[in-house]
Amino acid sequence: MRLGETGRMNAAINVTPLVDVVLVLLIVFMVMAPQMRTGPEVDLPETAKPRDQGDERGRILVTLDESGKLWIDDHQVAPEKFGEGLRAAVGDQADPRVVVRSDARLRFGDVRRAMVAIEEAGFSGVGLIADSAGATTGGE
Amino acid sequence: MQFNTDGQGSELQSEINITPLVDVVLVLLIIFMVVVPLLLKGYDVGIPKASAEMAPAEADASQVVLKIGSDTCPVFAPPAEPGLPANCRVSLDERVLSTGELAASVAETLGGRPADQRVLFLAADEDLNYEAVLRIVDLAKSGVDDVRIEFVTTD
Repeated sequence: MRLGETGRMNAAINVTPLVDVVLVLLIVFMVMAPQMRTGPEVDLPETAKPRDQGDERGRILVTLDESGKLWIDDHQVAPEKFGEGLRAAVGDQADPRVVVRSDARLRFGDVRRAMVAIEEAGFSGVGLIADSAGATTGGE
Repeated sequence: MQFNTDGQGSELQSEINITPLVDVVLVLLIIFMVVVPLLLKGYDVGIPKASAEMAPAEADASQVVLKIGSDTCPVFAPPAEPGLPANCRVSLDERVLSTGELAASVAETLGGRPADQRVLFLAADEDLNYEAVLRIVDLAKSGVDDVRIEFVTTD
């Protein structure tokens, strides 16, 4: 190869595969992060047409598991400390909303008691989270 | 000037390079995998405040109460089938209805009101199964989409 020629050898590293791999890793971590904070697994009730509640970022996630234990985000709280825990979970969020994931096997009274506690902690209204039954059963 | 210095023959490469295509598709796939589980679905419901219960905002006569009693709707375990069991009856403003008629009755009772007065007070028995109650909420919402659900006690 002589100097001054247009077709000189390309000596720069090709960064495209590097960027791709990094992007994929970033997204993998974005997938994993929210799953670490959603609390215990519950068997959500299935209804015909649950409405969209947006995504779970910026929500305070209250979970009632199969045995009726209360969780705020990813940690369990005692019923008498529930209000306190909720106010702590608000932090500096401007418009906190509480969503309740309850196990389908619970009594309605257990869920209602949690809702009353949420209301008493100063939140107006909650979202009750359900799964769409149409996804598994098909149309009628 | 030489195009190929590694001695691999000199014909032009004519296949499309699919590697960037695969990369982009993979990234899109993963983006959808992230977004879908983050979306929550459910129902907005409220509980009247203790003070609001003393002095209701709406006149008593205009309050629509949907009562689900454990005697008329004995569902204590999660229903196996979608929908509600046939023996479940509810009462909307003292009228006893099967769950199949509920959506139409809610639409008839509340559909004509201004949007801010579409409130349905739900008095469900505490012993009932939560999933069954939520399915009744779903039925009421399918009658009037923007109805506000308020849980009240039965007594």
